[in-house]
Amino acid sequence: MSIQPIPETVPAPTAVLRPKRGRSRAPSGRPMWLMWPSILLLVVIIGIPLLIAVYISFLHLDQYTLRSWLQAPWVGLSNYVTALTAGNVIGASALVSLGVSLGFSLLTTLLITPIGTLAALTVNTPYRGRTFVRVLYLVPYVIPTFVTALIWRMMFLNGTGLVDRSLAAIHVANINTYWLLGPNSFWAMVIADTWASWAFIYIMVLAGLQSISSDQYEAANMDGANSWQKLTRIVLPQLRHVLGLALLLSTLYHFNNFTLPFVMFGTPPPLQADVLPLNIYVSSFQLFNFGLGGAMSVITLILMLVPGFLYIRTLRLGEVTAS
Amino acid sequence: MRRHRDAQEILPPPVRIVATAVLAVLVLIPIAYTLLLSVTPDTQIGTGGLIPSQWAFGNYLSMWSTVNLAQGLGNSLIIAGFASVIAVILAVGAAYIITRFKFRGRLPYLYSLIGLQTVPSVMLLLPLFVLFASAQAAIHLRIVGTYPAVTITYLTFALPFATWLLVSYLGSIPVDLEEAALTDGATRLQTLWLIIVPLALPGLVVALVFAFLTGWNDVLFASVLTSPETRTVAVQLQAFSSSQEGGALPLYGQLMGASVVTALPVVILYMVFQRYLVGGLTAGGVKG
Repeated sequence: MSIQPIPETVPAPTAVLRPKRGRSRAPSGRPMWLMWPSILLLVVIIGIPLLIAVYISFLHLDQYTLRSWLQAPWVGLSNYVTALTAGNVIGASALVSLGVSLGFSLLTTLLITPIGTLAALTVNTPYRGRTFVRVLYLVPYVIPTFVTALIWRMMFLNGTGLVDRSLAAIHVANINTYWLLGPNSFWAMVIADTWASWAFIYIMVLAGLQSISSDQYEAANMDGANSWQKLTRIVLPQLRHVLGLALLLSTLYHFNNFTLPFVMFGTPPPLQADVLPLNIYVSSFQLFNFGLGGAMSVITLILMLVPGFLYIRTLRLGEVTAS
Repeated sequence: MRRHRDAQEILPPPVRIVATAVLAVLVLIPIAYTLLLSVTPDTQIGTGGLIPSQWAFGNYLSMWSTVNLAQGLGNSLIIAGFASVIAVILAVGAAYIITRFKFRGRLPYLYSLIGLQTVPSVMLLLPLFVLFASAQAAIHLRIVGTYPAVTITYLTFALPFATWLLVSYLGSIPVDLEEAALTDGATRLQTLWLIIVPLALPGLVVALVFAFLTGWNDVLFASVLTSPETRTVAVQLQAFSSSQEGGALPLYGQLMGASVVTALPVVILYMVFQRYLVGGLTAGGVKG
């Protein structure tokens, strides 16, 4: 459903096992049929719907024409023009949503990176209670997103939520800040998502730290390096690859995050929190302008191809299988 | 007496302790607030102090009748359970073929698994609905709103990640063991079941948990593809939350209680398998 980190290297087939005897129906033949159910499902449940989505984006399709959608009128690129200029009647245009989505995913990624890295550094060396801290760090990350959204909806509840109360108590903000409406909703969404997702960077960095040999630290100690020098001269350069991958995946994941704003704000969402997936959902399933939703989807897909392509390049599949 | 400092220690201990404390507090505040609200009487939420004058543990009882929570949890369990088990079985089969044989289409298949993961899921919702609706008109059998419809959807979405994960696990199992079994006359399926599956068990657990969570955590597809009888707990809570707006007295205590009950199994699942799961998450990302 969502982008998740997946193995970087694919093992090449280990010394291929061939049927020992020449008989074509030997019991040890290749059971290639084991792949067919997977392929069939991927084609039917993801592949074909993907093509239908592209097709729908060129149609004038609403709840009346949906029943016989194959006969719906072809309108060319007009859905795309509407998506980019006007959007749906209650929401933002795809361009505005795109801005919100980009701002949201990049800003969240930017915020979680130092937090996750710092957290990984706090549990890098053993001490009493470290296991407990490691488990604790993971809790926000493993709470289902719809529950995270409900928790932060309560935190940001106007006038009565913990955030408004605390900020008013220390005279930083008005008790009626309206976090779930208007411009503040963007920040509410960023804060909630930062809370929920920094452990992703933490996990990646922690694993990355383990691959740095202790000789390098010892050499640095010998040279009298301080913490900051160790961090900037040894740790960060070696984590470059891991962090790059983590940032890429994180941006992709946040860009496609539908559940958090959907459950946190309900529909229609405030314009400032009207991320692209939510805009597509509202256009399609609440305003029944399926063609418009389709056009916005295709625009999203085209944008996703850029980080997707970068991701595939970092996996270096060819290199491994060439051996 | 000074302990010998670990060479890998990057943060000086005082910095480490302060940072850990700050992070722990930030993690715990929203969770503690949720637990507190779940036992606060609805009349006292937002009035007076944070600590209610009396505890409302009854929220944890009344919520079961306010929403049909038991049905939602049961549906989530059935749907996510079946989806994850089938997804892992199919993924093992595919991963076995990918790691043991060279064939045309092997790399394109692996690439397409990644490609499919970048497809925004909201894009597939309508076409999938249209596809199911068309199929249901063709075969005169209800599909939308049934368990199989949403199960098959989650199972397919879980496949790419599960397959990737198992490809890396199965690839690290040496073939010598299989060769011995094969020369003894075992069939491929017997080898897979008796030799590979037991050895890849940690990988299977990770794949199973992540596939399960794909279904358990989803709101998007369940909101359109389920009917009131097959509705998952995720959709129930979302609907419960949005129905509290504008009402006379929002039942926030019960909402938070239900959230706690829904999140708890997942948090426990993670804690039990923590060691495997963190490894599974980073199986790639990082050089082994």
